[in-house]
Amino acid sequence: MLRIIVALFALVLFTAPADAAVKVVATLPWIGSLAKEIGKDRVTVTTLVKTSQDPHSIEARPSMIAAVRRADLLIYNGLDLEVGYLPILMESARNPAINPGNAGNLNCSVYVDPLEKPATASRENGDVHPLGNPHYHLSPANIKKMAIGIGERLAKVDQANAGFYRANTARFVAQVDHKMKEWKGRKLQGKRFVAQHRFFEYLAADFGFRIVGYLEEKPGIPPSSAHIQALVSSMSGHRPDAILSTEYHDRTISGFVSSKTGVKSVIVPHDVGANGSRDWFSLMDSVIKSLE
Amino acid sequence: MRISIVVALFAVTLSPLSAMADTVELRLKKLEEAVLRQAEIIDRQQKTIEEMKLMLENGKTAEVRTSVDSSAKNSGFFGGSLMNNPYISLILDAKAQVSNLKNSALEGRGIPGFTSEGSGLRNGFNVDAAELLIFAPVDPYFNLYTNIPVNGDGAVLEEAYFVTTSLPQGFQLKGGRFKSNASRLNSQHPHAWDFAELPLAYRSFLGPEALGGENGVQLTWMPSLPVYTLLGVEALQGANPLLFGDDSNWGPHAFSAFARLSFDTGEESTLYLSPWAMFGKTRTSAVLAADETTGNSFDLRGDSRLYGLEAVWKWNSGPHKLSLQGEYLYLDQRGDLGETDPAGAMVKIEPLKRHQDGAYLQAAYHFNRFGVGARYDRMEIFADTFERSGAKQSFGGKPWRISAMTEYDFTEFSRIRAQFNHDRSDRDNRVNNEGILQLTFTIGAHGAHPF
Repeated sequence: MLRIIVALFALVLFTAPADAAVKVVATLPWIGSLAKEIGKDRVTVTTLVKTSQDPHSIEARPSMIAAVRRADLLIYNGLDLEVGYLPILMESARNPAINPGNAGNLNCSVYVDPLEKPATASRENGDVHPLGNPHYHLSPANIKKMAIGIGERLAKVDQANAGFYRANTARFVAQVDHKMKEWKGRKLQGKRFVAQHRFFEYLAADFGFRIVGYLEEKPGIPPSSAHIQALVSSMSGHRPDAILSTEYHDRTISGFVSSKTGVKSVIVPHDVGANGSRDWFSLMDSVIKSLE
Repeated sequence: MRISIVVALFAVTLSPLSAMADTVELRLKKLEEAVLRQAEIIDRQQKTIEEMKLMLENGKTAEVRTSVDSSAKNSGFFGGSLMNNPYISLILDAKAQVSNLKNSALEGRGIPGFTSEGSGLRNGFNVDAAELLIFAPVDPYFNLYTNIPVNGDGAVLEEAYFVTTSLPQGFQLKGGRFKSNASRLNSQHPHAWDFAELPLAYRSFLGPEALGGENGVQLTWMPSLPVYTLLGVEALQGANPLLFGDDSNWGPHAFSAFARLSFDTGEESTLYLSPWAMFGKTRTSAVLAADETTGNSFDLRGDSRLYGLEAVWKWNSGPHKLSLQGEYLYLDQRGDLGETDPAGAMVKIEPLKRHQDGAYLQAAYHFNRFGVGARYDRMEIFADTFERSGAKQSFGGKPWRISAMTEYDFTEFSRIRAQFNHDRSDRDNRVNNEGILQLTFTIGAHGAHPF
């Protein structure tokens, strides 16, 4: 028995990694997609969260720990969005490279100026994010910063390919600028929406539309019927353009409010993979289409 | 530029030494080669410079980068957010119990042949404890965790341990006072249990709080494999009053070894398997209750080995969650059973041999905030040997229990649970039908629970 253990030990300890690509672990689909876009064939990307899952309520699975254990670079959204599973993954993975403060740990939110940072953070107000709204990825302004942040970090972790990552980053950023010209032409300016969750604030800031109300009275808490009634009556007055929701949200409430007010309910694709989107650009194309 | 290099190279190649050795033709050929090599290098450098310029222009990389100040922002990761070092949380676990048995009967209601200890619950209101958890990174090399349950009797140091964070190759050292990770259930805090109390097999072999906080050290190793694998060993002081107990002869006299294995059985499901063992010196008086007629008490000194095999399968599709879980425990214990009369005089010492087992199976289903679950406990499935002086003892019918629970999570920080137990752990003695209402609240920077 001991001999088997020693043999196994030696095997794992002294077997050189066969594959030289940088092992990236990304929490959310858009992060994984961005890392792949910039790293191309020089990286292997493992994405922990599936598009169909609610990013707020992910459970840590041992397979995720195994992935983080082998990672050269861990990239995450930050602003407490992954607080339910990522700390336990980092604590359990025994991989010093990805510990906070080391080059292998990239919290993308450091490149964002968070919106809606509350003055006080109390759970009495529901599932508030004390560091600010964490859903910043549907914003061209932010995604450029993310791309540069990821590109620079890849260049630091894998210096031999630094030029390659920087060139890909430059290409990505140029493409965002190019697409932005096209998106700016779409008529979103001045539109008014009611949203289920505080998911579209950065997008609204970039494109000049407004979120005038929320189905959720407090984030993550089912709304009271009084709140819904008040919302229905105010919506009947000011008639917003649509009710925005995402595929992982319960649609009974948005359906109810829609039927009461006649305001259409729209499912906005929330991350890469939704609506068949292959990357962040096709995601944004379908996001903007859904808002028109 | 190129011409000047050619001239310089001329000067070098026309040095007297080479001039003596080679013919003019050969020298010219060498010169040509050298010039070509130099030109190549210059070309390559030029290309790199142009590439870099292009990048700066296109990407405005430098400009955006300078606008980012990453040092000033709180990354918010260690289970908390704005809370600064250390992270503090408090968990209240309040219960109300109704049973057909009186408190006096519940208190001394052990599991004959296993333990003389009761479950600890009383009719009416129970507050097990308010668990105070304080934890934080110490420095880049260690994390520190403490768990201080406070109850009516005062505060106890249930856990206070360091964990290394920077050992290479997937190693981790843990030391101080902690709940053994040999078994997954043993290391879970009571508020994380799926039912109000531990399975019968745990109470039978380890007591109502399992092994509890033990002083010791642990070494674990997670090899870099595609499948989650964790191997660990522990050396513990062995204070658990049922399986080990304070020993006057030895320091650490309880040890454990465990392996954990897990892989996904699909996009939404995970399987977890874990064999484990605890072994060491035993000195306990909690196995047998005092004899009712003579009043004599029993004290065991010996060696124990407890083996476990746990399997968990979880399926999580977002709103729907299903978990199936089961564990088998087997005890191999040998030693001397001392019998002492009420006056304190030794009556006799006889050899004791125990080969006993137990298991539980449970299922829990959650839909959004609502959950239901059932559990079946049974002792002495394949092994029921309890031999005193070579004579097998019979305690009556085999202990078993069936439990059902339903729970509602208002949020992830508050939960109400109602549980019913049909408990035949006292063998042929009276059944305990009990209902338990449990309320659990969490405040502060409570981290996520492991799988």
